[in-house]
Amino acid sequence: MVDLSVDLGFICLKNPVIPASGTFGYGEEFLPFFNLDLLGAFILKGIYKNKRMGNPPPRIQETPAGLLNSIGLPGPGMKELKKIIQRVYQSTSTPIIINVCGETDQEYLDVAEYFDGMEEVAILELNISCPNVKSGGRCPAQDDKHTYRLVKQIKQSVSTPIMVKLSPNVTDISAIAISAEEAGADCISLTNTFLGMALDLESRKPVFPNIVAGLSGPAIKPLALRLVWEVANNVHIPVIGMGGITTGQDVLEFILAGATAVQIGTINLVEPAASIRIIKEIKETMEQLEIANLKELTGKLQT
Amino acid sequence: MRDDICNIVENIQIQGEYYLLKIHSEYISARAIPGNFIMISVSSTMEPLLKRPFGIFETDPPYIWIYYQVVGKGSRLVSEFKPGDKISVLGPLGNSFPPVTNQSILMIAGGRGIAPIHFAIKKYQKENKISLIYGARSKHNLNLLDLLKPLTLQVLLLYSDDGSIGKRGNVTTDLRKTIQKSGISITFSCGPDNMFKSIYQVTRELKTRDYASLEALMGCGFGICYSCVIQTRKSGYQKVCTDGPIFDMDEIAW
Repeated sequence: MVDLSVDLGFICLKNPVIPASGTFGYGEEFLPFFNLDLLGAFILKGIYKNKRMGNPPPRIQETPAGLLNSIGLPGPGMKELKKIIQRVYQSTSTPIIINVCGETDQEYLDVAEYFDGMEEVAILELNISCPNVKSGGRCPAQDDKHTYRLVKQIKQSVSTPIMVKLSPNVTDISAIAISAEEAGADCISLTNTFLGMALDLESRKPVFPNIVAGLSGPAIKPLALRLVWEVANNVHIPVIGMGGITTGQDVLEFILAGATAVQIGTINLVEPAASIRIIKEIKETMEQLEIANLKELTGKLQT
Repeated sequence: MRDDICNIVENIQIQGEYYLLKIHSEYISARAIPGNFIMISVSSTMEPLLKRPFGIFETDPPYIWIYYQVVGKGSRLVSEFKPGDKISVLGPLGNSFPPVTNQSILMIAGGRGIAPIHFAIKKYQKENKISLIYGARSKHNLNLLDLLKPLTLQVLLLYSDDGSIGKRGNVTTDLRKTIQKSGISITFSCGPDNMFKSIYQVTRELKTRDYASLEALMGCGFGICYSCVIQTRKSGYQKVCTDGPIFDMDEIAW
């Protein structure tokens, strides 16, 4: 019998598989496909304080083994989300993670405080890749000082554990990760999507009204793996790896690179029960390779 | 709604880039209602990554039929499916045409838009009077007339832009006259966006209720990715996959 449980220090998960924000709706959409109790945890679609419409279409374009998206984080606002969470909580005892967004530091704080202390909420994941209206559209994730300031402020105000989700679109991701750790982050997740573009030659215009879009899917796996390895070597808090994971073997590679747990993203859109298949594959691969527990593998890359 | 591995039974080339695909799915064939669609995995590798949406042409338990046109990489791969191939199919998805009885329904199909319209005629013909307007660019794009013959239709009007089949014109050429003459109280339509716009100009004026089956660029088909949105008059962006694909034309901000 292999042991799939993982310990983030402040919470133990029954397995390392966590569907990622924006690819798992509010959880309840997946009830027709599987029991949410089978997951390690799951993360709800990113939420701002107020209702948002999102970007004008087109919002996606396929790329070789990948997907560009410019959805624009539509959502019902935090009050409506609270009702949804209370409903989803009836269906599962799996830890629920809120993905906290904000156009200003104050908005991040308002949203984090609103969900703080809700028994249904296990972790707050800070999506620091949101364009910040007071920083000329730059996101906190692009600046180590801004990341530090924001995480510190939120850690001082809430008691729910904080996961900081990093952007890959930076020069030195370790500097941002270290800032988050120094500011008190309980764990770090990476990576968010890579900025990309798609163009229409005929009209000489970008495909997306927002011009740039975020790339995800199997195409980014090697890039994400490198970033996870680098960050895990530079911080002492748990790292939750993600980027193009589609198989159990992918998960074990991220863990070997230093991740304690992983998030499953784009594949959820293609194969609703992907996470369940992946959990099964992790178990099978561990048996094959005679890995008794995941701790034995975390960060044990031989270089 | 289920994501199952299904067997391809037949993949028949009708004409040029138009095909009929027969899939074995006890689950979907027993549950699908007119307007519903399915998402088909077009490759067993990760390239292309996303499933593709297809409207249901007919259910014949344990089979479903899909009528499709090869328009890009995804549908090109579907056209290469062989009997016995196993593919991943998610469905049935989406809402459906409204339940109506004892009405005179005008069905309007443009090109491959005949798929959900054919399914609707099959299910609605017993309890309603059905008329059909079917148009396309030329006779090459206007197919399956043999399959329309067994249907109980009050009126069948065919149009082509180039006059190569039926009357020269498009689905709106005699729309006003047909609605008024045949006592039409409601229309169901499926076709390209510009067709919906010109239909709506007529139905709005005549105050005929009109339900459109919309197409959109879809990521997942079950409401997760928020890609396939359409602007509505009162409710902002709505998802074509789960709020639709059938919309009351009055709700759309054309």
